[in-house]
Amino acid sequence: MGPATELFENVRRGMIPAHIYNDDELFTREKERLFSRTWMFVGHESEIPQDGDYVVRRVLNDSFIITRDSNGDVRALFNMCLHRGMQVCRAEMGNASNFRCPYHGWSYRNDGRLTGLPFHREAYGGNDGFPKDSQSLLPAPSFASYNGLLFINMDPNAEPLEEFLGDFRFYLDYYTKQSPQGVELRGPQRWRIKANWKIGAENFSGDMYHTPHTHASIVDIGLFREPKAQKRKDGATYWAHRGGGTTYKLPPGGFDERMSYVGYPDEMIARIKDVWTPRQQQVVGDDGFMISAATCFPNLSFVHNWPKVHARNDEVLPFISIRLWQPISANETEVCSWFAVDAAAPEQYKKDSYKAYLMCFGSTGMFEQDDVENWVSLTTTAGGSMARRLLLNSRMGLLGDDRPVIEALPPDAFHGPGRAQVGYNEHNQRELLKLWADYLA
Amino acid sequence: MRKPLPFNDIRHLAAHQFLVDEAYLLDAQAYEPWLDTLTDDIRYVMPVRVTTARGAGFDNSPGMAHFDEDKYSLTQRVARFATEHAWTEDPPSRLRHFITNVRTFATDDDTQLEVESAELLFRSRGDVNESALVSCGREDLLRRCGDRWKLARRHIITDEAVLRMQNLAVFL
Repeated sequence: MGPATELFENVRRGMIPAHIYNDDELFTREKERLFSRTWMFVGHESEIPQDGDYVVRRVLNDSFIITRDSNGDVRALFNMCLHRGMQVCRAEMGNASNFRCPYHGWSYRNDGRLTGLPFHREAYGGNDGFPKDSQSLLPAPSFASYNGLLFINMDPNAEPLEEFLGDFRFYLDYYTKQSPQGVELRGPQRWRIKANWKIGAENFSGDMYHTPHTHASIVDIGLFREPKAQKRKDGATYWAHRGGGTTYKLPPGGFDERMSYVGYPDEMIARIKDVWTPRQQQVVGDDGFMISAATCFPNLSFVHNWPKVHARNDEVLPFISIRLWQPISANETEVCSWFAVDAAAPEQYKKDSYKAYLMCFGSTGMFEQDDVENWVSLTTTAGGSMARRLLLNSRMGLLGDDRPVIEALPPDAFHGPGRAQVGYNEHNQRELLKLWADYLA
Repeated sequence: MRKPLPFNDIRHLAAHQFLVDEAYLLDAQAYEPWLDTLTDDIRYVMPVRVTTARGAGFDNSPGMAHFDEDKYSLTQRVARFATEHAWTEDPPSRLRHFITNVRTFATDDDTQLEVESAELLFRSRGDVNESALVSCGREDLLRRCGDRWKLARRHIITDEAVLRMQNLAVFL
């Protein structure tokens, strides 16, 4: 028997049963109905630039070797020997032409084909007993990429990744396509937090309301000039199919001026103009919104901010981070946080942008530190019995009769796809949890 | 193999005392006085460790660290803790920095000493959550500044690829 339909009805109207953030039964259902059927991020092509490079990544409990084989093709291979089930690769990254199982020495090419089987003739009577030439490590059921972002879907009949992402691709480009070369990723930093995976995903999707309070200390020390309470609510939140995010409202100016305002050097702006569509540029240049945090359902988030990285002047510089909220259990998440930067960016920019990332986000980031403190506390409390009697109000931005407090922006005020509106609201968090409810119900 | 200074060498004793005194400052989160023990050109780095094959030749994530700090960024981190809004450390953690296995090495420059140490940080927050540990090695460069030693470089080698601590709102 599954959860009561009432639970999902409440979620859909923005009244969130508090226990969904720490509930073993729901986590089991998430594994059965959500993570087994949706596209899960596992890495980026830039992490394995050379033939033979590999990284090992998990989709919950399933380990996959993400390799670039000797022909340059990127593959996702289930990391389990066909013979006795040992992991054939126990390192996290490296370069290999073959993976050899430590148990009985079966070996596989970096494209997954079984090539070595000790005593094949003596033990199996050769191909009569075991036709080894047709054997391969199991490929991921579905595997696809967008702008080099690699995703696995455990459903062999999954809808194509591009359809799954839909209009959210428009916004993904801001983070992952700033030149024809695309982004390169470094990391990830990995650490475990005693918090439910949904909380971070919701927060990054649209929680502009927490910035002025949770991150007050960042403004206090002058690291970041934007997140003053007044400024944050002037930004727009948008939702487009499988993802949504937040933006900041920029001071008057055209596209180039506004890109410079957040710290992009001229040569990067020139390349960006070559790869972003006119419509993508209009969101910045005409509408005056600059993308900040975002989440792609279910557990992949992005952040783009522009702090002050040097003592010597007031200049700000942008950084991009991509992060995965890897579920461990109902109350534990492994955070995987990558630094991302345009591959064609000048070296000094890459250096400064990396520095900006480390100061703000990741395991030591000054923004992140306070976020996690909140999420751990929330998760712990959600595990008790009182949490089963509490519906958390996640209806910000809605009146009692479900009309919006602030109307959606018309297409000439926000050129991006989907629905966008200014002001504090929880539209995106509700959209994310509605999708969650659709998968689980 | 380079040889450490004998444990009764006055330079070793000075370096050891520096690390122990520092541990007390960090336990007490006395970060302003701690900043004063760092040179202005401090480099404070904690790479991300990764699991790699024995023959791989590297076990740090290329180009990625947890900390990669200079005096400005460390000063900003300390300034943040001093605000009224650094929620992650209000209420503060209970911290204990255990420092051991200290070895000191002379350098060509007699105003500088290299010091290695092992560190275990115990961190407890609140009353419900489990406490957390970070185990690491450290390679430091101490520099003589007037009548005292200061920390000019610290390389922190964490022993985990995946940290089991909710954040690093601490110093190691």
